[in-house]
Amino acid sequence: MRRLGGAAPRGDIAVELRGVSRRFRLHHETRTSFQDWFIGLVRPRGKGEEFWALRDISFSLRRGESLGILGRNGAGKSTLLKLITRVLEPTSGEIIVNGRTLAMLELGAGFHPELSGRDNVYLNGSIYGYSRRQMAEKFDRIVAFAELERFIDTPVKHYSLGMFMRLGFSIAVHLDPDILVIDEVLSVGDAAFQRKGYQALRDLKANGTTILFVSHWPELVREFCDRAILLQEGRLIDNGPVDAVAAHYERMLQAQPGEAAILRVRAVDAAGRVVEAVPSGRDLRIEVLLRVPPSGGGDLLLAIDLYDRDGNHLFGSTGRLADLGAPTVGEDPATRRVCAVIHQLPVAPTTLTIAATLQHPGATGLDEVDRQDTEVEVIAPWSVRERGLLRLDHAWEWEPADAAADALPELRVEAER
Amino acid sequence: MASQAIEIVQYHSLVRNLVAKDLKVRYKNSVLGFVWSLLHPLLLMVVFTFVFTQLLDQRQEDFPVFVLTALLPWHWTSTAVAAGTTSLVDNAPLINKVYFPRILLPVSVVLSTGANYVLGLPALFLFMALFDRPFTPWLLAIPVLVLIQAIFLTAVVLVLAPLNVYFRDTSVLVEVGLTAWFFMTPIFYSIEWVVPHLAAWMYRINPMAAIVSEYRVIMYSGSVPDPLFTARTGATALALLVVGYLIFTRLNRNLGEHL
Repeated sequence: MRRLGGAAPRGDIAVELRGVSRRFRLHHETRTSFQDWFIGLVRPRGKGEEFWALRDISFSLRRGESLGILGRNGAGKSTLLKLITRVLEPTSGEIIVNGRTLAMLELGAGFHPELSGRDNVYLNGSIYGYSRRQMAEKFDRIVAFAELERFIDTPVKHYSLGMFMRLGFSIAVHLDPDILVIDEVLSVGDAAFQRKGYQALRDLKANGTTILFVSHWPELVREFCDRAILLQEGRLIDNGPVDAVAAHYERMLQAQPGEAAILRVRAVDAAGRVVEAVPSGRDLRIEVLLRVPPSGGGDLLLAIDLYDRDGNHLFGSTGRLADLGAPTVGEDPATRRVCAVIHQLPVAPTTLTIAATLQHPGATGLDEVDRQDTEVEVIAPWSVRERGLLRLDHAWEWEPADAAADALPELRVEAER
Repeated sequence: MASQAIEIVQYHSLVRNLVAKDLKVRYKNSVLGFVWSLLHPLLLMVVFTFVFTQLLDQRQEDFPVFVLTALLPWHWTSTAVAAGTTSLVDNAPLINKVYFPRILLPVSVVLSTGANYVLGLPALFLFMALFDRPFTPWLLAIPVLVLIQAIFLTAVVLVLAPLNVYFRDTSVLVEVGLTAWFFMTPIFYSIEWVVPHLAAWMYRINPMAAIVSEYRVIMYSGSVPDPLFTARTGATALALLVVGYLIFTRLNRNLGEHL
């Protein structure tokens, strides 16, 4: 594993994870001791179960981008943040962080109750690696922002929780980090301070700070982030523009367990990355994420239909889920990933609507269970000589040149006669 | 290893602030608080003096100075080892929230307890003056001994602090161990009273025996410390520090999981 300091050899990448996994051993007794160890010599017990908090996570974040990390409790969000902030080491994989990282995982972590607010500002700064002189420059702004001028020489044990949090928040936003990691800490103090806090974060973002923001509130993530990733059971199941990922997450929350649903449909490239445009004539991969009831949903049908800009139904295909044998995603056996590949997409440039429909063979034909659409732009070096709905693989051919050459002398011979 | 050294330099203000925090909290920001911190070794001095000169009729001259020259550095050792052992566990909430070189926690404990010891030395000088003990230029060698002791104590806490994370009863064993160590170190007795063949072994396996005897040579006897002996003690401390550092880095890797 490699961490990089100030230098940025990889251009404008702020954070990059490559195949990062983290394993924990579940210790059934939380406190180990020599006593347990000796007892264990006499009466051996199991080594403790293994548990993968994160599995094979890869994503990258450019400087100045803000990334939301969504997922339910236990999805691995906190572990991910701890890996990025170096509190934990990955079991395998590589993490590259370019720049000074600051984590707001818990406000006021590291405050000592007996010390004054002033001493705690300096102590907290030095925990993040800032010298006394650097902190002295920021000191007045920190105190003014936290609105604690009158109490700054009082030991923080006498502070109210709100004062404590305000000081912690103020220190964090004034340290000018390159990368700021926030774990739902904005429920700080009163409404007025909250507004101020959000504004401070917006200012940091405007000044080019890279932000990683964890929340299980999709609304907050939508407001602050350009992009988002979605974690489920320790795996990255979605990565893309914030609106799409937040919508996916909301659907995931709403989906009733036991009911089949389409969680997401999108166009991807061969490596599984989301694409917003595909060149005409290349392969189009359509990835559908499904929730399948525990019964297996054997008789369910999955239909993929393609429509052009004008609503013309270009193509449709239906497959039985039972025949697909889709690989499971994450540890959740109910979530399945299906990929439909259309070879050498023969469609002229247009806005292609891809509809995925889950259907149930009912008494009167097919009942629609769920449907999700996505759009993808079909692009091509379209010349004036091509038109129509389709872009067919074609070639112009003259009569073979050698045949023409063979014919010519004969003509000449004839002319000579 | 080089990059870790650079990192520790980068975090020099954390070391300073951690030491300052320890001292401020211990002294509660008052002079009386500082005097209070000396109470423990001074009271022990009174007790030992009473026991050995009154109850046991021990003829060692100026017994209070004799015992205090060893009690003060021992007090450093016992506070540093006890607090150093729990330094990682005590700061678990911080370690789990923020990245910083964790090695600085046990190291800062050795430094702050060491500062407390150095600040207490004038009290010892006062007793030396009261009992008319000789003040020689060899007192200038004290910083060398302080450095050797600091290196040795760092080596010890670098092993015990992470061990206490994996085995939480380490701190209990350390408490018992410190009592045993106290009796095995020539503090309320002189190394010269020890059976000769055992005294040699005491020096070999207990660096504190050597360090305490050196302090006593300088501050109680007012004589010259043997440079070769001091150098050997220093070399032992350095070798132990390397071992302690290697053990710490090894144990540090999975620390986050156990805190």
